[in-house]
Amino acid sequence: MEEIKDKSIHHTALRLCEDLKQNPTYKGLYTDVQKLVSSSNVKYEDFKESLSKSMKENGLEAELRNNVYHWVRSQNKDNLCYASFDSFFKKAQIQWEKRIHKSLNSMCSELGIHLARIRFTQDREELIEKWGELSNYDVDINKYRPVYSPKDFLEVLLNLKGPNYKHRGEEPTWDFSHIPIKVKDLSELRTLYSELSHGEAVMGMNTSRYMSSSYAAFEAERIALGERVVLSNHAPVAQEYLKKGCPPCLRKKMWTLVLGSEVKETHYHYYEKLKTHVLQYDLMVDKLIIKDIHLTASNDDQYFVFEDVLHQILLCFSRDAEILKQLSNKPGYMQVVLKGKPSTPENTLIFPPSGVIPFHGFTMYAAPFCYLFDDSVALYFTVRAFYLRYWFRLHRVCGHSQGILCLCLLFERLLQCYDPVLWHHFKKIHIPPIRVVFKWIMRAFSGHLPPEQLLYLWDLVLAYDSLEAIPLLAVVILIFRRDNLLRVTTLQNIEAVLADLSSIAVMSMLQMALSKE
Amino acid sequence: MRVTFCTDLDKNVVVANCEKRGWIQVGPEDDWNIYWAGTLTCRSLFSVDSGYRMNDNQIINHFPNHYEISRKDLLVKNIKRYRRDLEKEGNVLAERGDSKYLHLDFIPVTFVLPADYNMFVEEYRKAPQSTWIMKPCGRSQGSGIFLINKLSKLKRWSREANKNPLQPQLAKESYVISRYIDNPLLIGGKKFDLRLYVLVTSFRPLKAYQFRLGFCRFCTVKYDSSVAELDNMYVHLTNVSVQKHGEEYNALHGGKLSVQNLRLHLESTRGKEVTERLFDQISWLIIHSLKAVQPVIATDRHCFECYGYDIIIDNKLKPWLIEVNASPSLTSTTANDRILKHKLLDNIFNIVVPPSGYPDVRWNKIVSTEALGDFELLIDEDILNHGNHDDTASLDRHSNRSANFYRWK
Repeated sequence: MEEIKDKSIHHTALRLCEDLKQNPTYKGLYTDVQKLVSSSNVKYEDFKESLSKSMKENGLEAELRNNVYHWVRSQNKDNLCYASFDSFFKKAQIQWEKRIHKSLNSMCSELGIHLARIRFTQDREELIEKWGELSNYDVDINKYRPVYSPKDFLEVLLNLKGPNYKHRGEEPTWDFSHIPIKVKDLSELRTLYSELSHGEAVMGMNTSRYMSSSYAAFEAERIALGERVVLSNHAPVAQEYLKKGCPPCLRKKMWTLVLGSEVKETHYHYYEKLKTHVLQYDLMVDKLIIKDIHLTASNDDQYFVFEDVLHQILLCFSRDAEILKQLSNKPGYMQVVLKGKPSTPENTLIFPPSGVIPFHGFTMYAAPFCYLFDDSVALYFTVRAFYLRYWFRLHRVCGHSQGILCLCLLFERLLQCYDPVLWHHFKKIHIPPIRVVFKWIMRAFSGHLPPEQLLYLWDLVLAYDSLEAIPLLAVVILIFRRDNLLRVTTLQNIEAVLADLSSIAVMSMLQMALSKE
Repeated sequence: MRVTFCTDLDKNVVVANCEKRGWIQVGPEDDWNIYWAGTLTCRSLFSVDSGYRMNDNQIINHFPNHYEISRKDLLVKNIKRYRRDLEKEGNVLAERGDSKYLHLDFIPVTFVLPADYNMFVEEYRKAPQSTWIMKPCGRSQGSGIFLINKLSKLKRWSREANKNPLQPQLAKESYVISRYIDNPLLIGGKKFDLRLYVLVTSFRPLKAYQFRLGFCRFCTVKYDSSVAELDNMYVHLTNVSVQKHGEEYNALHGGKLSVQNLRLHLESTRGKEVTERLFDQISWLIIHSLKAVQPVIATDRHCFECYGYDIIIDNKLKPWLIEVNASPSLTSTTANDRILKHKLLDNIFNIVVPPSGYPDVRWNKIVSTEALGDFELLIDEDILNHGNHDDTASLDRHSNRSANFYRWK
């Protein structure tokens, strides 16, 4: 037994080493270690001990540990719990992608444009000139429309007919109860979010009218602790720290640490390459991105100031082939031949290189990060890391416990369980509750909660490495407003009751829901 | 007794707030308790000719000579005098270093034209490369403002103003000329200024409250300090009344970002300490601008006033007082604006009306914590002088930085 275990550790270590060598930052790390080895601190006689001691001292050990941590986290991405459903979901996702691609193609033929072409020189020059103020980049996007909206996607999800599906007469699909996936119940959530359920002091409780002096003292204490965490440079410690919410002044550092998205020189070069690609190729998806920013962030009083930088990073995002490579279940992608070129491999490109087709509201996956970063490159890599770890599952059909489907199910079961009266009210007025909250869940509340509160919610996403706080918050908000909801009977009025979330205090509401009576 | 109110402004936010409280609207000739008036109405009411005498149960939303703070030239004059007086007293607040005031350097160097022309030229010659901004003293909303970077341009302007026979008043109009803050803090590459609200319920003793909500007004066009853009007011002026005419104006957000969000962004990108210092400095400059006019404002127990403070932050996170409005706009340009202005009015009434709910000028105007709403106590000389600040929790904000608090004294 021991032997097998030893062996498996040995194998893991080998794989780990192989993978680390592929990492873009490996070279720098290796050079740093080499430098250390040649210093006088490392003794030939006592090589192992003295090396590890000096690595500890100059922080290389923490860096190496973080690399292992990120590697381990990237390994268990694919643990799909429902193998029997796996193929079903895969098929459904393929169909959904086909629909999206078809819709892209028909929009192109309608508008008489091509998916991809070499950018005209004049256009390229304008882009270069206006790179810092792309909101003024002159391009006609009037005729473009979002490929799909959260509502369309919900329709797709509701129409999934799993292997256990039974036709239920004329009634349209009302909920996800026919998808037999187990999701957590409240007591399991309490175990997961144990720090919150114990009712310990957390950040973000200062929403009462006055900033009480006790909160100020608590915040000062958290900042002092947080500064030590940042100094230690240990990613798992940072993750643990986030469980009680992060003071805004440390969030940028904490998040990049947990996500491993610190930027080095190589990242700047990489980003520059993405930009070059944007300048070189005129892709139809560019207009979709610009259109989406115009429809969302540009009109939003929380985010309009960041519209220019959002243009930059989202255009670059579409060109990032690493995204397609890193997504565990590669999305289906299109191969497109550049307009007016012979169909040869060098004239063919993956459309878009990232494989991600934006939908209405996609910008909101990135917008809140603008509050944290002044530097667009640092902003880009944290947005990308967050997307690759969490957001991508919010707009695809999959059975993953962190996928949109499971989050919807979790929402429904919690609501059904904890407020059956409200649930029946929805049933009586023929409005599926998921319809009301789906946009919150699909956007992880971005654009719905004020940024300050939203960032606390996302602290928890990172801290517990789970999106389950999102449907939980949706349930709590409904229950919080139940008296008003019970009084209205139309979708319009329900939406009116839930339209303004500016008074929601995320941390206290979640804490309330998770603590035992 | 029912409270009666009167207003000469066609502002729904005023009427709605009063009616919500069950107050009855009456005409100016009737027996009113609360008058929300325009500055002109107010001035004529206070004038000797009107012969109107208010009784103890009447309050009004302006001080008779508010222009001491709201006129650009008078504000500058008062602040300069305030500094000089403190200096004469040997007060440490007026300490200087490198010829500048260390603690009271919160307005850009400013002169009144034509009166201080020679002084201006002297100052101009010290740094001939700098840009100056000309503003007519009596106008508002960005009208008549322009930038100059050459003395010749100013001379040409003055010749033309004198020559213009159709507008002889233009020649008499006085201007202030201020050093232009050409290194403003930019967010998303754009310039903005802050609009904050301050309520004063008494000048002697000084009682002032700062509204926690406020907003940044953004220019729609990327900031560019180059000479070529000197005449492009969409780059330089943040006034909504100017920006509204720009091509890029967005009516959904109106170019307004809340102060809370500004704070979040600054704390996240620059750190908590510098952000706190900035906001402390803002409170500091508000208090001293009020103290500067304290001796000249005709104090009247019937009066209270809500000021709109316009502040620009430079890229070293230093706030500069640009001007003070005695009638800040109550018009709402966006949905959030409406909410904010509604709250502002509601909170003002909570503070100026005593707990009995009936206006009474004999009340000591010490406001309970509950009644403050979104206002924070900036200074109350009654409380400071009697040293009983325990009963006002709002001073809590400064309690962990008591050093800061005592400098208010």
